Amino acid sequence: MKMVRILTLIMVGLLLVTSCSEEQDFDQLDDLTITPDYETSIFYVKAQETLINRVEGLDFFTQDFNFDAFEEPFFANRVLAGVLTYELENTTSKPIEIRLEFLDEAENVLDTEVFSMDPAPTAILQRDVAYGATGKSLDIIKATSEIRLTAINLGDNSSESTLQDPAIVLRSSAQFTLDIR
Amino acid sequence: MRLCQCFFIAGVLLTLSLKAQNKQILYDFNEIPQSLSVNPGVESDFKWYAGVPMLSGISGYGGSNAISINDIFANDGIDINIKFRERALDVLTPKDELSTTIQMEYLSGGFRSENPNIFYSFGGYLEFDNIGYWPQDYAYLLFDGNADQLGRRYDLGDLKVRGSLVNVFHFGINKRIDRNLTVGARGKLYSAIADYSSSTNNGHLSNVEGQNNLIATNLNADLLLRTSGLRSLRDANNDDALGNEIISRALFGGDLGLGVDLGFTYHLSERTTVTGSLLDVGFIYHSGDSKSYSLKGNTSVEGIEIDVLENFASLDRDFWQELVDEIEEVVPFETDTKGYVSFRPTKLYASIRNDFGEPVGNGGSQNCDCTAGSSGGGELRTKYRNSFGGQLYMINRPRGPQMALTGFYTRRIGNALAFKGTYTVDKFSKTNIGLGMNLQAGPVNFYVMADNLLSYNNIAATNYTSFQLGLNIISWGRK
Repeated sequence: MKMVRILTLIMVGLLLVTSCSEEQDFDQLDDLTITPDYETSIFYVKAQETLINRVEGLDFFTQDFNFDAFEEPFFANRVLAGVLTYELENTTSKPIEIRLEFLDEAENVLDTEVFSMDPAPTAILQRDVAYGATGKSLDIIKATSEIRLTAINLGDNSSESTLQDPAIVLRSSAQFTLDIR
Repeated sequence: MRLCQCFFIAGVLLTLSLKAQNKQILYDFNEIPQSLSVNPGVESDFKWYAGVPMLSGISGYGGSNAISINDIFANDGIDINIKFRERALDVLTPKDELSTTIQMEYLSGGFRSENPNIFYSFGGYLEFDNIGYWPQDYAYLLFDGNADQLGRRYDLGDLKVRGSLVNVFHFGINKRIDRNLTVGARGKLYSAIADYSSSTNNGHLSNVEGQNNLIATNLNADLLLRTSGLRSLRDANNDDALGNEIISRALFGGDLGLGVDLGFTYHLSERTTVTGSLLDVGFIYHSGDSKSYSLKGNTSVEGIEIDVLENFASLDRDFWQELVDEIEEVVPFETDTKGYVSFRPTKLYASIRNDFGEPVGNGGSQNCDCTAGSSGGGELRTKYRNSFGGQLYMINRPRGPQMALTGFYTRRIGNALAFKGTYTVDKFSKTNIGLGMNLQAGPVNFYVMADNLLSYNNIAATNYTSFQLGLNIISWGRK
């Protein structure tokens, strides 16, 4: 039995002596940041020249669209910064102005973007609008409930472009940084 | 430490995989009654044994093949964001796993029948299993997002996790057929306390150049999470009755299932022995408190799309809500409470052993009849001082079978003390040296085993560690 005791002591002692761990600091988790960037399209609007020619007056199109995406609590509570990218293509024979107004729930105008396009042939207009520390106020985005789109024909109502399927097209996407943690 | 931190740490430690513990040291260590638990066909020589409640068998296991606690949480002055990116996010793949198994035996016993060739065993234990793999593309989506990743497909099949908390009752029969062959079988009754599984996911998420708009976001999803018992536990926790609920569900108030273990020992010659066992061939039917969540469908979204000419008469519509409704219709998120069947992680053991040296008992330190077969009244099988051999272990996993190979050496010092050393190679470690000790002090049997001993100089840096210990009272009776 003496040998048994000795061997047991040796084994337990060996484990006790050799078993150790470097210092761990689980409070480091407080410093872990998760701030991903997400990107997706927002809206696409196409107005054909045939329609523009049919509508008399400057504003051939004005419409308020419900847009609750930015108001969703998951987004509004976490957004840190963002960029809205617009791309405008005019293949009609008319100069056209597009006005985008961001409205809150009471339909107050929070922000306006104006795009002026020469008649075709003209280059595609691309514009990035930043929100957050290096751009416009993020509150605009967080409070936006509707988007008002106004299209103004600065030309005539009779001419027709020779390009295929002439139209004014607005494309847009958004890229936002969220504070997940 | 805040609760969310605890969950995060638990997630890091537990999330990545379900792998039951490889008990390579206990396997074929037939001086220990609990070796019956890994091979019901082991050669036993006890008249009876009784495990000390809650102490007869405790084992724990935690492993990751690619990351350790020390990698992330070492107090080394490096920004945790850098460590997490360099040692986890940019390194781990969906094949990398983190798994945990904890077993606690609360009842264990066995007795020999009037027919000395038959030995009955019984018992119960609680088992927590968690198996998960690194959800690589989910992690990238969470930490980096999908911006500026046009054309990249995020694989939604990366999410594979499975876990359960089960109470197991078992009763086994071990029969010596003849001097060379011993077989055994054990029936198991599972009473599941909680279960969760999300291991059949498929699909992808991607941004590509849109046909109309700048970006088209494509979602192809076939995701399923099945749970059982979690709502009951949550409600009981809110009512400060969690303990009662766990006990109730553990004692047949939860989901029930059946299983079987099979095993054998066969002597090819006087000194050469082969063994094998198949464990946890069984299932559990979850029906009492099951809830499943699914997301299934296929869609491509380019935002709100308005063709003024086509929609001129109905421009007052709520295009945003229509878009949301359309997505929810084609990719519905659904829940249901239908029952489901889960299969237990089946394990396979096999070994070949060669004995050498002098027979134990001839010059050993004790003279009890504690060699295999001595209680059987039949022909005695001599036990030798030394054994060496190899073992194979396999387990079915969500990403296919996984195996480990073990070489071992057993040294018996009289009938009172035995040591077993192992060297195991698997996906967790190539330097896994384990050591087990069995001490028989009269009727008191104590054993302790530990794995991956080389990691003990910094246990936080190890990818894998496990331990087993137990205490039994054993009687060999009188011939």
